[in-house]
Amino acid sequence: MKLIWKLLRRHISLPQFAGFSLANLFGMLVVMLSLQFYNDVKPLFSEDDGLIRPDFLVLNKRVSALNSMGLGSSGTFTEKELNDLKAQTFTKRVGTFTASQYKVSCSMGIEGLAQFGTEMFFESVPDDFVDVDLSKWHFNEGEDYVPIIIPKTYLSIYNFGFAQSQNLPKISEGIVGMVEMTISMRGNGLHEYIKGRVVGFSTRLNTILVPESFIRWSNERYAPDSDNEPSRIILEVHNPADDSIVDYINEKGYDMEDDKLDSGRMMFFLKLISGIVMLVGMFISLLSFYILMLSIYLLVEKNTEKIRTLLLIGYSPAKVALPYQVLTIGMNATVLLLATLGLSLLRSLYMLNLSTVFPQMNQGSILSATMFGVMLFLLVSLLNITIIRHRINQIWKN
Amino acid sequence: MNTIHLDNTLPKVFLSKPDLQSDIWRRQVCFEKGNTYLIEAGSGTGKSSLCSFIIGSRQDFEGKILFDGKDTRRLSTKEWSKLRQNNISLLFQELRLFPELTAMENVEIKNSLTHFKSNQEILNWFEALGIADKMTSPVRLMSFGQQQRVAMIRALVQPFDFLLADEPVSHLDEKNSQIMSDIMMEEVRRQGAGVIITSIGKHMALPYNKVFSL
Repeated sequence: MKLIWKLLRRHISLPQFAGFSLANLFGMLVVMLSLQFYNDVKPLFSEDDGLIRPDFLVLNKRVSALNSMGLGSSGTFTEKELNDLKAQTFTKRVGTFTASQYKVSCSMGIEGLAQFGTEMFFESVPDDFVDVDLSKWHFNEGEDYVPIIIPKTYLSIYNFGFAQSQNLPKISEGIVGMVEMTISMRGNGLHEYIKGRVVGFSTRLNTILVPESFIRWSNERYAPDSDNEPSRIILEVHNPADDSIVDYINEKGYDMEDDKLDSGRMMFFLKLISGIVMLVGMFISLLSFYILMLSIYLLVEKNTEKIRTLLLIGYSPAKVALPYQVLTIGMNATVLLLATLGLSLLRSLYMLNLSTVFPQMNQGSILSATMFGVMLFLLVSLLNITIIRHRINQIWKN
Repeated sequence: MNTIHLDNTLPKVFLSKPDLQSDIWRRQVCFEKGNTYLIEAGSGTGKSSLCSFIIGSRQDFEGKILFDGKDTRRLSTKEWSKLRQNNISLLFQELRLFPELTAMENVEIKNSLTHFKSNQEILNWFEALGIADKMTSPVRLMSFGQQQRVAMIRALVQPFDFLLADEPVSHLDEKNSQIMSDIMMEEVRRQGAGVIITSIGKHMALPYNKVFSL
């Protein structure tokens, strides 16, 4: 092997291989970086708060002056309207919001400190629309504890509006989760209490959410006679950026809650841009692969006579191809290693900036991008090996 | 492998020569293991082509070549590699040494494939052929006659049933020619192999079993 290598490494052009390595490194880095960046930034764009998945839209009927005066339509969705919505091509699933039909108030406080309380309400959506561990998100009749999800904005209003101006300490999500609330429920001649605890914060749903089983049980208990047509619905769609959704909603005169579609569009553009950058990276990788193959062909060409002699004195094509195969795999592996190092370096730079702007950003890992790099490496190396072997076989056959 | 059988073999380039006079082409010829053959030929009569056909590097011939009755056209790449390692050794007329390697390395590159001879045995051959002092010199700096001897050593560091020597002594004087044929025949006898030597005039003085005119 040593002698074969000594023989066949002649005519290796360092500039060619350096050119290949650089181009391949660049291509690989672009591919891996775009994938990594997409993975890192996706949670921000998709506003994936871990509770409500991003492809959900919340719809309600437009509130007009006539509604306010008690005239016009009821503002709730009828069975027919729901069925029509279900029949649309962009719809994956439809769920309805169910509101509490009785009086709810809540008070909380830490022992020794003044308690404070407020009137409030509950709503629920079907449990499978809520992306929280189901062991935390359930209520069974007879239990004296109910899990609650509140909008993140509530906490922001307190922390950045109220607490700041009153010189009160800011509270974190973790602390809120530790505070136990006492919830009082009145209706149907009953007045009862139950414990509640915040198990999550949602940036997507502007409501105070409890499990569906709790609403069903409590409405039956405290407001058995109320009618329960939904005034808001939650909709899972195939593609939030689909134009026909907006058309449909405008035509029907529905309202959509704030910027859900915007984030959907942002998501779409993020995907599009990452996709384009990744394609460019792939293209560069492809070109570099082409350079490498040309260099190897040239090298084999220059060494053809020697290779032929080796074959004539009994070397098998596999043995002759081996040094070139080891050479290319070595180079590919080096490039993969450098690309991975480069990736983690560049990532630590942009993560530093991103986490200043988005402190909630989680750290993630470079595992999937690295795995993708490894797959690319395996694919390219396999191609290299096959092509080199094929070339040597051609020499064998003349 | 015990026989090499030429069955109506003819290089395709000779198809246009109807009046070909030859003991080899378009005949039934059988080379047997253990025998020594001389093929005498003029230039351009297809002597090196015959070697290429037998070693499998060229297929541009009519008729058949059979190894122990097996058509060589049916041999796979793997089988050819094995044959070239274990059954047929060819001393090329153009030597086909690697100029950038030393004399010793040129022999080692073959011996590392077959592991057939010890370093000492190879060294003894270098000494006997009078080129021991050139062992570590790049082979390109040696004269053709010296290179011929290196090529001979390389041809001998493998097991073989047949040794093909294409004009092995064209550039050697009588004395060295004699030493070379002694060494060659000693190894051939040790292995019980057959020898096919080609020559365009000058040839090793050996007890040939048969002499062909190409």
